[in-house]
Amino acid sequence: MNGRLQRMRNIGISAHIDSGKTTLTERILYYCKKIHRIHEVKAREGGGATMDYMELERERGITITSATTNVTWNEHSINIIDTPGHVDFTIEVERSLRVLDGAILVLCSVGGVQSQTLTVDKQLKRYNVPAVAFINKLDRIGANPFKVKDQINEKLGRRAALLQIPVGLEDRFQGIVDLVRMKTYYFDGPNGEIVREEEIPPELEDETWKYREELLDAVSLFSDEVTEAILEDRVSEDLLLRAIRKGTISREFTPVLMGSAYRNKGVQLLLNAVVNYLPNPSEVENIALDLDNGEKPVGLKADASLPCVSYAFKLEEGPYGQLTFIRLYQGSLKKGDELYNTRSRQRFKVGRVVRMHADHMEDIEGAGAGDIVALFGVDCASGDTICSPGLNYALTSIYVPEPVISLAIEAADKLSADRLAKALARFTKEDPTFRVYVDPESRQTIIQGMGELHLDIYVERMKREYRVEVVTGRPQVAYREAITLRADFDYTHKKQTGGAGQFGRVIGYIEPFDGQYEFVNDVKGGHIPREFIPSCDKGFQSMLKKGQLIGSPIIGLRVVITDGQFHPVDSSDIAFQLAAQGAFKQAYKKARPQILEPIMKVVVETPSEYAGNVFGSLNQRRGIIVSSIEDGTYSRIEAEVPLSEMFGYSTVLRSMTQGKAEFTMEFLKYSRLPASLAEQLMEEHRQKLEAEEKK
Amino acid sequence: MVKKILSARSPIKSLEKNLKGGIGPGQVGVFASRKGVGKTACLVQIALDRLFEGKPVIHVSYASRVDYIIAWYEELFKKLAHLEKLKSEMEIHDRIVRNRVILNFRQEGMKTEQVLRSIEALLGPGNFSAKTIIVDGFNFYLPCAEDLAQFKKFAVDRQLEFWFSCSLRGEDPLFNDQGLPFVLKDYLASLDIILTLEHDNDRVRLNLVKDHGQILSKKLRLELDPQTLLLIRI
Repeated sequence: MNGRLQRMRNIGISAHIDSGKTTLTERILYYCKKIHRIHEVKAREGGGATMDYMELERERGITITSATTNVTWNEHSINIIDTPGHVDFTIEVERSLRVLDGAILVLCSVGGVQSQTLTVDKQLKRYNVPAVAFINKLDRIGANPFKVKDQINEKLGRRAALLQIPVGLEDRFQGIVDLVRMKTYYFDGPNGEIVREEEIPPELEDETWKYREELLDAVSLFSDEVTEAILEDRVSEDLLLRAIRKGTISREFTPVLMGSAYRNKGVQLLLNAVVNYLPNPSEVENIALDLDNGEKPVGLKADASLPCVSYAFKLEEGPYGQLTFIRLYQGSLKKGDELYNTRSRQRFKVGRVVRMHADHMEDIEGAGAGDIVALFGVDCASGDTICSPGLNYALTSIYVPEPVISLAIEAADKLSADRLAKALARFTKEDPTFRVYVDPESRQTIIQGMGELHLDIYVERMKREYRVEVVTGRPQVAYREAITLRADFDYTHKKQTGGAGQFGRVIGYIEPFDGQYEFVNDVKGGHIPREFIPSCDKGFQSMLKKGQLIGSPIIGLRVVITDGQFHPVDSSDIAFQLAAQGAFKQAYKKARPQILEPIMKVVVETPSEYAGNVFGSLNQRRGIIVSSIEDGTYSRIEAEVPLSEMFGYSTVLRSMTQGKAEFTMEFLKYSRLPASLAEQLMEEHRQKLEAEEKK
Repeated sequence: MVKKILSARSPIKSLEKNLKGGIGPGQVGVFASRKGVGKTACLVQIALDRLFEGKPVIHVSYASRVDYIIAWYEELFKKLAHLEKLKSEMEIHDRIVRNRVILNFRQEGMKTEQVLRSIEALLGPGNFSAKTIIVDGFNFYLPCAEDLAQFKKFAVDRQLEFWFSCSLRGEDPLFNDQGLPFVLKDYLASLDIILTLEHDNDRVRLNLVKDHGQILSKKLRLELDPQTLLLIRI
């Protein structure tokens, strides 16, 4: 095994908003000697924490973009990807998770498992990322790490046990007992940089042994070695450590650590845990798809001598041009190498290679498998796979949700229209869930995204980074149309009056389908010549972009053509496209189309005394309350609510609960719009069309 | 139409016919048995019976997981739909989901006032007009005469029907001569209907042991199919 790889970790820090994730990252950088001074997240002067480097993020006190930074701890090289916490930015989180080998799941010792924690936990599980949990803010009033540990077990369904217990809590929180080494640690010096090891205080003996036993029980469930050692009463530190590492990497076990980043306690022990328990790049299985071989899965080896396979997971526009953050899965690269982008099928030469530290960088000669570095001046989109020439692999495409909300935007003055275009081009490259198009009818520029806040953030960034004042329209929900019945078509397109004629006939049917769209060619006996089959497909597809009810895209449709007719001279590509379009129009109305609206899964966390009001507010919004879970003082209400009803909900919720409740939402499904509302939308659409005709 | 066909043949309706005073607004019923015999299956079938008729139901549970409860509903719904050869299964399913709210209380010893407050919140400001409340996992082994009296009063005041499950535990005998679970004997004033589930050679029979004013031990012509956990008439 390669020593370089063994001493490498790629980790992310996932958390509920305000769990102190940025503060924790800041401390990690400080203890790893990457920064010389500790900034606080909401500092009064001199800017915010180092990782939150965008001005906007500073202002809001939250982290939006995933900056990556490299630190060294105990001779281990750790790449930290700072992941955003808000659900509206999940694509950023998910892209980061794709390149992580392990994660720290930060929880607040008071709030415990909150709605956001569930979301990020789900993401970690989706990408099979092993994690250690860190219960932060032990200095806060009401801190209870034991309760939080139980919640990790119950609410997150993880098998978790404490690796540490606190010495004192809240304002008397002093240090940490390590249940593996059976020692107590205190953090001295002005910034807690001196770690002092002591014996366990006698008053904590009983508690220590109790939780040590709990830990051994949990570990013995997946480690026979430890089970045997327990029976023989010879559990060594080394054995336990190895067992925990194994369990963590196989995701059977989640070690729980704790501390207070703000009070400079426990962070160094957490770093030890990252090194001890989270996997190095070679311990994680990564698969690529061979594009030359029917997308056959191929295992990648973290071996620097093999051809290079890497993944561009993030683009950033810096003052010196575009930076592309890549994760190397196999092989290595160095300055001057030639690489190949398998999506755009373009070759390029590697220019500058840098290792990033928040917003300053270090030039390096090259990098090897497992590493995360940034390249300068590479033209690509995020999510692209970059290989050595000769390989044609794609790393499993990451799941990109469809946007659910759209907004018309316009530059306030002509001068900034240029900059607006630049900003949009850049954002769409960075974030696949952020889309832009120009509506051919209204000629408006429409941006689309995953939620109100998601689009708000980009509008803000246009102002700040590109100095574009924009005027926005009302947010629009992305409706869809779908048919509910099978309907036949038999359509002939004929135009044979003088000159070159057009002729095409298509016969078949359309029917509801579980996916987006499917085209089935069932034509026998060459009634439609082979070369015109794609023309039919193209004709149908062109009709899907705008349904006839309200002009929304059509989903869930299968077209089957069974027969047709052609003319030896007059049939052409365009004739069959037009025939297909006519056929579609003929069948669509008969197939009982309906309008679908996006339904969001909404989770509200509120003090129980406001539960009634929250129920009411969701009910008013055509929401279905699925469940409400109460534990003592808090209720977690889960509901399914149409997106169109959720605009401005955060304000309503805040004022209803004196700001004590919070909610998250994510896209759940499309479902039928009630008839009365559908009528209304169709009427609006009719009027819009009429108005346009008059013009 | 579907609702009617289903409801008329429903074993739940046959159960109700067996009860002298029926069960309805203001009344409290209990299914009692040892763990794992099929109480929850009975409760969920009562809920589904109401839901099929388009009547909203609140399902209160203590310390069970929501997805676990939903799975019960899904499972039994699927089996019922299959049995009845439902045509517009998706639509009915959607309506059922729309009319069901699960209230889950995590802590043991959650105060009854708070449980009732939450139900109240759903009925009042939540505008959720349920008439049937299912309560699964309530611990009858803690002193709870007062709590049950509160539930009963709430049922009467709000004109709701309540269905509880009572998990019996400890050593035999669990029942007195009349077939009444010992643990329930102090709470008779608040409980209108008591049914017990009894294992009998791989079959689960239902016994009616309290029917309003009357204590009796009547074997009902109803049992739980051990395979499907559906109630069937025999």
